[in-house]
Amino acid sequence: MAVERARVGLAAVEDVYQDYGRRARELKAAGKKIVGYLCALVPIEIITAAGMAPFRIKGDCGVPITRADASMETIVCGAVRSCFDLSLKRYGFLDGIVVPHACDSITRTYPLWQHELGLPYSHFLNLPHSTEDSSLVFFKAVLNTFKDSLARYAGRDISENALKEAVRLYNQNRTTVAELYELRKADPPLVSGTEVTKTLIAAMSLPVEESTRMIESVIAEVRLRPNPDADRLPRIMVFGAEVGDVTFIELVESTGAHVVADDLCPGARENLRLTDVATDPMDGLAQRYLRGIDCPRTYAEPKGTYPEYLERRFGDIARSVRDFRVDGVIVYLYRYCDPFGFEVPALKSYLDSLGVPVLSVENEYSMPAIGWLKNRVQAFLEMLEQGSA
Amino acid sequence: MPEEDQARRKATRTARKIPAMVNAMVREEIEAKAEGKPVAYAFIHCAYDEILRALDIVPHWVENFAGICAAKRDAQRFLERAEEERFSRSLCTYALCGLGFDAWREELGEMPPASPWGGQVRPDVMLGSGQMLCDPRTKWFQAEQHYMPDVPVYDLDLPWPPYEHDYDHREVEGYYAKHIVAQLRGLVGFLEEKTHRKMDWDRLSQVVDLVDRTWTLIWETYELRRTVPTPMDTGDAMNTMVPMAFMMGTQQAYDFYQDLKAELTERIANHEGVVAEEKYRLLWGGGLPSWFALNDFNYFNSKGAVFPVETTYRMVEPICNLDFDFSRISDPLEHIAWRWLKYWTFWYDRARRRPGSHPDVERLIQYTEDYRIDGIVMHEAFSCRTWHVGLLWQLRQFKKIYKEIPSLILHSDIVDIGSYDELGTRAAINAFIESLEAARR
Repeated sequence: MAVERARVGLAAVEDVYQDYGRRARELKAAGKKIVGYLCALVPIEIITAAGMAPFRIKGDCGVPITRADASMETIVCGAVRSCFDLSLKRYGFLDGIVVPHACDSITRTYPLWQHELGLPYSHFLNLPHSTEDSSLVFFKAVLNTFKDSLARYAGRDISENALKEAVRLYNQNRTTVAELYELRKADPPLVSGTEVTKTLIAAMSLPVEESTRMIESVIAEVRLRPNPDADRLPRIMVFGAEVGDVTFIELVESTGAHVVADDLCPGARENLRLTDVATDPMDGLAQRYLRGIDCPRTYAEPKGTYPEYLERRFGDIARSVRDFRVDGVIVYLYRYCDPFGFEVPALKSYLDSLGVPVLSVENEYSMPAIGWLKNRVQAFLEMLEQGSA
Repeated sequence: MPEEDQARRKATRTARKIPAMVNAMVREEIEAKAEGKPVAYAFIHCAYDEILRALDIVPHWVENFAGICAAKRDAQRFLERAEEERFSRSLCTYALCGLGFDAWREELGEMPPASPWGGQVRPDVMLGSGQMLCDPRTKWFQAEQHYMPDVPVYDLDLPWPPYEHDYDHREVEGYYAKHIVAQLRGLVGFLEEKTHRKMDWDRLSQVVDLVDRTWTLIWETYELRRTVPTPMDTGDAMNTMVPMAFMMGTQQAYDFYQDLKAELTERIANHEGVVAEEKYRLLWGGGLPSWFALNDFNYFNSKGAVFPVETTYRMVEPICNLDFDFSRISDPLEHIAWRWLKYWTFWYDRARRRPGSHPDVERLIQYTEDYRIDGIVMHEAFSCRTWHVGLLWQLRQFKKIYKEIPSLILHSDIVDIGSYDELGTRAAINAFIESLEAARR
């Protein structure tokens, strides 16, 4: 007998999270083209406007990497290796792939994505590193090349109206995510960090309207909960690269803390900035994806002193610390991740200057390795509790 | 004397000049700093060599300094210092070596004790570069600002069109060139403002012309290595890359390759090869070398194996073969931009003609044919994703679409000697030589 699938709330999230990609398989069976993409830097509005379903390729540190290593070096960051491994093993429903110029681990493996998955469509999105005006002009041209390429594959034009509608839908989705984040501000938070991250991960596999409805239903469910009893657990922010599962967030919360804020993908970094609808949609998308996502792979040129640069780079973290009343920040990085790894001393010193305790940990992107971090997290949380006593 | 050391006597006379040239270069940087000349931290192969030369700004090549520390087996203390600063040891060890050194120098207010070749000078500006490879080129100097917050950074975007199946790169290269020119112009403005120097555009054009001629000369020189027996191998090329990487845009670099070309021509006339009996011709098919273990090339030589060609540090193509009429351009910045684009897309057309190929794979195939290659050797350095990710796939694809060939992938690092297993490496080389012999039979 087929198991009835939950349609709303956190049960629906669990359903989608546990069988990530099921909805894409259904859509594929119904004749929809599924375009996989890596990372937060691909303007999925364009894929949606082309009448296709964007599907975020994610890794999972709980699934051993078994097939990727035959063609991908182990010096590639574990998150990317896991994404590739799962693409070979589980994401056979993909029709195409879009790979952004994000980091070396992604960029240098583009030929593998292009050839080894055997997909009819592939595209490399050449996001510039700098954010100056000439870079913005260049990036808009890059986006137009992508739009034209995708239109050729789709066999149809991508109209301005379709783009505007896609921008509207994703803005609505991100506004809903912002509402979900508001529920974390209460003390204790009304929704756990694990629930939020799991919701956002699940949402990445759905068409945008379904994603929005699912998040709205989570918000509605959480609002119906009785207010939690007060506790004195530390309120933690997690900063890091892309997460494909909730293992680390769960570890922190199960050790005795609330994860109330994040700077992660998926998470606040990619979900809380809207696309400007007052401009031409391609202009708005170029702005958002080049200047609106504070990823360390993109360089926001300093316009003043170095402290001013740090404020520009890490100011969002400071605002989250304040708005979500964060007691401590955990910097959670992957081995072989150059863009994030080079920022650790500067980030630590910036947070020190705000008086925010910081724990920096590195993981191999595997379940046993995460387990080894538990002692360090526990010691950090105990230090926070002693500090607040 | 070990047999690999005997083989070393076959190195070219011209390559033997390199250590003294590098030493002089580092000394000149220190002297220039003392004289108040502006010094720029710079990366190799970033298209700004001519601009620096024309503005008379002294480049300090940070990768070179890390390589020196590694070759002198004196990098570990700087790597450890970087680790103390909370940088992961999995990051680029060129960068970790430089950052560890600089953190230490800034703390002391002077060079760390017994700094290799006098140390790394404090820069006036730092010139990063955002390409389609090498995250450290954008992140390293940002990280340096943590220790030198007063030293400004310029990050130069230098993209090139990706290799795609559904459109030709020529359809988009116009907007790439426009962007690169804007970025280069921004760099000139930045340098003029920060160093109070004025660009002499005529001089820049002269330096651009010198670089064009140097590229072509290098290509002609290296092509001589096709000869059997080869007059020069990769062990030497890891030295002769110095003028190409660190002195481009100078007469000294041009003169060096003229000397090298003359010497190789002479060797060919005398039928003088790298080894007495050339048994196996190998392609160094990717990866930077372990700077602390360059003697491994001599070990190959001791087995009768030579490397007539390598993809590493072969950073030029002959100007006349580039798919572009440079005579129609008068703006030197535009010239630099187009040369950059045409270099990076040089192998695209050939790759398109062979089903399943890719520019990097096509280059391996072409070199295999041109240099009559028997086997391919690569090096996977654990700390560098830039040049070491994708090699495994390239080799697999090469064998899939072209031909089966003996191959060896060495595993170590560029700087971190802790990653190196000499006995294991030599055993792997021995086994590889046996596979070459077996393939021949």
